[in-house]
Amino acid sequence: MKVSRKLLGAAIGALLAGTVSSYADTIKVGIIGPFSGPFALQGKNFQAGVEAYMALNGKSVKGHDVEVIYRDLPAANPAQSRALAQELVVKDKVQYLGGVYFTPDAMAITPLLKQANVPLVIFNAATSAIMTQSPLVVRTSFTTAQTTTPLGKVAVDEGVKKVITIVSDYGPGVDAENAFKKAFEAAGGKVVEAIRMPMNTTDFSPIMQRVRDSGAEGLFAFLPSGPPTLGFAKAYSETGLKKAGIKFYAPGDLTQESDLPALGDAAEGLKTTFHYAVSHDSPENKKFVEAATKAIGSAEQLSFPSVGAYDGMHVIYKMIEATDGKQDAQKAVDAVKGLSWTSPRGPVSIDAETRHITENIYLREVAKGADGKTYNKEIQTFPNQKDPGLATQ
Amino acid sequence: MPSVGGRWLRDVIGVLLIVAAGLAGYWLFPDNLALLTRVIAVALLVLSLDLITGYCGVASLGQASLFGAGAYASGIACVNGVTEPLTLIAIGAVAGAMAGLLMGTIMLRAHGLAQLVLSIAIVQLFHEAANKASAYTGGSDGLSGLMVSPLFGMFEFDLWGRTAYLFGLALLVGVFIALKFIVSSPFGMLCRGIKQDPVRIRAMGAYVFPVLLKMFVISGAVAGTGGALAAISTQVVGLDSVSFELSANALVMLVLGGLGTLYGALVGTVIFMGFEHIVSAINPFHWMTMVGALLIAVVLVAPGGLSGLSERIFQSGKSMKGGRR
Amino acid sequence: MQTILSIAIDAFAYGMALFIICIGLSLTMGLMRVVNLAHGAFAMIAGYIASYAARDLGLGYAIAIFLAIIGTVVISIPLERLLYRRIYGSPELTQVLMTIGITFCIIGITNYFFGPTLKTIPLPESLSQPVDLGIRTIAGHRLFVMACGVLVAVGLWYLIEKTDFGIKLRATVDNAAMADALGVRTPVIYAISFAIAIGLAALGGVVGAEFLPIEPYYALRYMVTFLVVVSVGGAGSIPGAVVACLLLGAIDTTGRYLMPEFGNFFFYAAVIAIVCVFPRGFFGRAQ
Repeated sequence: MKVSRKLLGAAIGALLAGTVSSYADTIKVGIIGPFSGPFALQGKNFQAGVEAYMALNGKSVKGHDVEVIYRDLPAANPAQSRALAQELVVKDKVQYLGGVYFTPDAMAITPLLKQANVPLVIFNAATSAIMTQSPLVVRTSFTTAQTTTPLGKVAVDEGVKKVITIVSDYGPGVDAENAFKKAFEAAGGKVVEAIRMPMNTTDFSPIMQRVRDSGAEGLFAFLPSGPPTLGFAKAYSETGLKKAGIKFYAPGDLTQESDLPALGDAAEGLKTTFHYAVSHDSPENKKFVEAATKAIGSAEQLSFPSVGAYDGMHVIYKMIEATDGKQDAQKAVDAVKGLSWTSPRGPVSIDAETRHITENIYLREVAKGADGKTYNKEIQTFPNQKDPGLATQ
Repeated sequence: MPSVGGRWLRDVIGVLLIVAAGLAGYWLFPDNLALLTRVIAVALLVLSLDLITGYCGVASLGQASLFGAGAYASGIACVNGVTEPLTLIAIGAVAGAMAGLLMGTIMLRAHGLAQLVLSIAIVQLFHEAANKASAYTGGSDGLSGLMVSPLFGMFEFDLWGRTAYLFGLALLVGVFIALKFIVSSPFGMLCRGIKQDPVRIRAMGAYVFPVLLKMFVISGAVAGTGGALAAISTQVVGLDSVSFELSANALVMLVLGGLGTLYGALVGTVIFMGFEHIVSAINPFHWMTMVGALLIAVVLVAPGGLSGLSERIFQSGKSMKGGRR
Repeated sequence: MQTILSIAIDAFAYGMALFIICIGLSLTMGLMRVVNLAHGAFAMIAGYIASYAARDLGLGYAIAIFLAIIGTVVISIPLERLLYRRIYGSPELTQVLMTIGITFCIIGITNYFFGPTLKTIPLPESLSQPVDLGIRTIAGHRLFVMACGVLVAVGLWYLIEKTDFGIKLRATVDNAAMADALGVRTPVIYAISFAIAIGLAALGGVVGAEFLPIEPYYALRYMVTFLVVVSVGGAGSIPGAVVACLLLGAIDTTGRYLMPEFGNFFFYAAVIAIVCVFPRGFFGRAQ
């Protein structure tokens, strides 16, 4: 009799424990991105990546439902960024923060992560220094230093010894300039001139004139993706630099897939290095592109921020799994240090020390496909690139 | 004409109402205090704009220069070791005042449209300077991670923003009371006279330029205080604090609430930013259309802004009652 | 020397693009005394119409320009009747506020219909080829813009100085009441002048789209530039607008060439200097 009562008690206890743990709670994830304004397409890509991941992997992790809250931040506005993050944490009670397109916005959020006990997974902002601001930041995108460094050697290999660098005067721009110069000069080239132009430049003719005057054999450029890169690439071919044989090197921000239709034939032949091309040939990417295109609505609008968001959600899901839905930012971040998986872009892993993503960087050339449309064609792979910007710090 | 004593009473009630509204905000929206603190900082900016536009008749689309000067001054001071909040506010106010002096000296050389254009050029110059001097200001990355020490050594500036909000509220009330005294002083009267008819004032023997310049300095101090408050409460200073957009928004808020009453500045700010928060979250471009429509409506229907409208309602109410004026 | 000439050519092209857009604003402000901050919005609307016509409907460039000008003027007519008429003669601040309000509305509505991305206007083959001028290569389109600018300047000068309409216009500007008393139909003059001004803004918006890309914030982003240029040149003066556009265009272009890091700094510093010395602009009329 006593034995069976004990057994009964144990059975009831087990049943109760089972029902308690299967009670579904909702984990909120706050995503901050540009959903309106000139960079609205990038925000749309964030959303497409998130929705694609959730469509392919379900909307819950280990019994915890995941709810995504989107907040709009149309431009680089540190004060508003912080206000949005604060609101997400205090009012909406999110457990995870994600997204962030611009560096200043990320910098403004990092001071509050510890007090909020919330990790930040960056889907885009590409300056190396962000990771040093807080131990609770993980990034699944890239840094301009990371994508630019292989380009230095590529230029020298093509016989170009003198290059003029032209970058937009802000964090990632300066990073790109430094990374290219380091890699290019290490391979034997010489940067003859370095120009930094204001972010709102629309007329690039004077700059192109400077290029011509400098006697460089090639130019390296970096501008924030979107309207500025379009104007720049057009000016390059319109002012005859392309015809004169001055080579064009840039990270892939300048030939992102959503800009290629507007660039048209002017973009053909441009060589860029980047972490992701929509045309990447792998089964994971095929699945991803299909789901993301469905989410974004039009295949032409799909671009790199979507894969940053996709992998960012992967990291967040793993964090939720590791903490079993409890809010513990440090535990969550520790759990994904060293995490490696196959992303639509190729094999990737989160570096345990810098918490930044290690990934393949590809050299691509803009080519015309069978359907007559231009696309980024991968022609060379630089495997497992870390962020050189952080390695030096 | 209401008696002086009557106006005094009205102002006391007004200040008490502001305090009450502030405290109500504290109790009703405990999760939104960061936003409310930002509203207070911008309210200080709009108050400063009211001083020169509402009371002196100098229209400006560059007031953010003064706000930004205060914000960056206290931000740079904070990053370099000065973390006591009251000192930071003082630094912001002084920086704003100096910027106001500079701006006034340039702007008051011209009149009408040229003056407006100068104000725009000045704020753009400040913006470019802040962007260029990135070693001090952080450039487009902004100045972040401002660690402000606790107020009076006791009240920490935490994530929930309680200290920041009550601090800001106290500042706002203090500044408001001070401004009420200033605008009802002979100096304030002179400014209003200049707005109405500068030639007559000159004929009276008063000098226009020094009086207006003095008002610019005071306005700068108020705007600088707002900027410092924004810097302290958000712990971040970005280029947006010295932008043309902020200046234009400030003018819109002021016009919405009504020029020349000081209360209008507060009302306009609260309504504008409140609506912005709600509507912007739904769709930011609908927000722009709304503001545009609102502006057109204000110009066509209620040139005195909301406070002008409410005054007209009160006047018509009185005359309808047929009561004493 | 070659560099100087090259910069001069760039400055001239940019200046002419600005001129075509700004001359309309100069006329509105100088002749009709209306501070129309929504001027840039009309240029933007034209850009959108042209982009839609050329890109989505596949019509030719010339037809696109034509449609853009007609379309923008048609849109401006109800605005002029319902809104602008109320603010003729109002204080400047009122006009500023009303026209900013109109600008905001136009931005919001444009974004709603066309989306937030940049719209390009595809150029015809003949204009997109780089043209070799010996000293340097220039985009063919820029030569087109320069030609347009010169045509507009000459055409306007002829219209205002040599035609009947021009006489009536100048009379209305000098003394509207008197002109009215003498039988000049001033409301008609105002309406036609407004239409011309908007039409010019439309033309400028379309041909200048290479310098000033078409996107919803165009109306606000470049409004400051337009306003500044008109104030520097003196409202209502064609020579003033030409000089201001060329001068400011040159300062901006040279500044960007010599010290790109400083960006707009020289532009605005120059503006402050010029306005301080010439408070009414170079050729402005005394009010």
